[in-house]
Amino acid sequence: MLKSLSRAVSVAARLSTKAPARAAEALVGPALCAPSSASTRPFTRSIWMLCSSNGATSGSRPKILTTKRVLPSVPCGCGGLHTEGDKAFTEFLTDEIKEERKIQKSKTLPKMSGGWELELNGTEAKLVRFISGEKVTVTFNINNSIPPTMEEEPEQGQKAEDNEPDLVSTPNFVIEVTKQGAKNSLVFDCHFPEDEIGHGEGEEESDIFAIREVSFQPEGDADWKETSYTLNTDSLDWALYDHLMDFLGDRGVDNTFADELVELSTALEHQEYIKFLEDLNSFIKCH
Amino acid sequence: MGVILRNLQNVVQLRRARLRRDVETLRHILGVQKFDLGIICVDNRKIQHLNRLYRKKNEPTDVLSFPFYEDLRPGKLPCALHRDEFNLGDVFLGVEYVMQQCKESSCDFHGTLTVVAAHGICHLLGYRHETDEEWDEMFQRESYILSEFNRLTGSHLEPLTKRSTQDR
Repeated sequence: MLKSLSRAVSVAARLSTKAPARAAEALVGPALCAPSSASTRPFTRSIWMLCSSNGATSGSRPKILTTKRVLPSVPCGCGGLHTEGDKAFTEFLTDEIKEERKIQKSKTLPKMSGGWELELNGTEAKLVRFISGEKVTVTFNINNSIPPTMEEEPEQGQKAEDNEPDLVSTPNFVIEVTKQGAKNSLVFDCHFPEDEIGHGEGEEESDIFAIREVSFQPEGDADWKETSYTLNTDSLDWALYDHLMDFLGDRGVDNTFADELVELSTALEHQEYIKFLEDLNSFIKCH
Repeated sequence: MGVILRNLQNVVQLRRARLRRDVETLRHILGVQKFDLGIICVDNRKIQHLNRLYRKKNEPTDVLSFPFYEDLRPGKLPCALHRDEFNLGDVFLGVEYVMQQCKESSCDFHGTLTVVAAHGICHLLGYRHETDEEWDEMFQRESYILSEFNRLTGSHLEPLTKRSTQDR
């Protein structure tokens, strides 16, 4: 299972981390080289001289590199480092968690209609349904599932916060249809197309969800078998595409399902976000 | 390109393949296979919004047409030169509204949808029904299209009645 989903997620992760990673590398590079680099030694020493009480620059000058000034500590018995920054961070997180809990619609996840059973594994959700000897499995991961929103200038007299749109999670999802006795499952890689909302009328033009690829894959396999023929819908006969959509509709994967999946995914994403903030808060406080 | 089919609603379970096949048959009968055509299926809320926006009528309806060629003489095909001009426009089908009408009159939903789509495509080809003469002209064209459709598919479809088209 997962197949292209995991592939899509890993590609998204690669894309999203590439630029910051490079930037971090450029910043961190010289610091990592410092101990072995002869050219940096005089600089390091001059800093040491600033700190030294015996140095020529000591005396009444402020001790800019003492632990107290750079890492203002807060007493704690855990043995970990706690700074004033950490304290401010946890205060911020506590407020943020409170706010997020306030806007959380429900503590329980919304139910999918149509007899779908939900299984959760961290950020991955699996919906399973049995229908007349067939097993239909829908898998999605809430990581990287919120598309970026185009920021618009707030109208005059309107606060920017009032104008914030609700975050909606629209994950890619993989449908696996397994027939009894069949060697392979029929697997659909689906997504929620991003609409270009017209500013004047706001008319959307895409279907609620769309099939991207279709392939036969061994049942339950985590990796997408690249040697299996994969039908890409970009250049597909539309009549065939419509039959595939009707096939899914007959198995309970229709627009109603897609709308409910968005609700479920949004609630799950929000739940995981709050949990992450809480874990972050505990980690920074003590662990 | 051909027929661009979009289903933007979740109220009615639509048979996309059947709707496409029926609209392709209508295009064939009308001799407009070279022209692109959008068929967009929407719910009551959406079609009411469009009806209010473009016709100042704040109520749902069964079909709204948005012709690419706005001043076409009824029955005359557009003179398209460039690829982009081989476009008839869009037909919005109020499938929720049509379904409600079908339930009230015990009619087949997808058959009725074909009749409504034929009506919408006639609007894209310049037909109107603001006067009695226009209505007669459009009704005759729809009758011909649906009789051909029935002959080709073995269906028994009839055009929309005068009363049902008066408000549109």
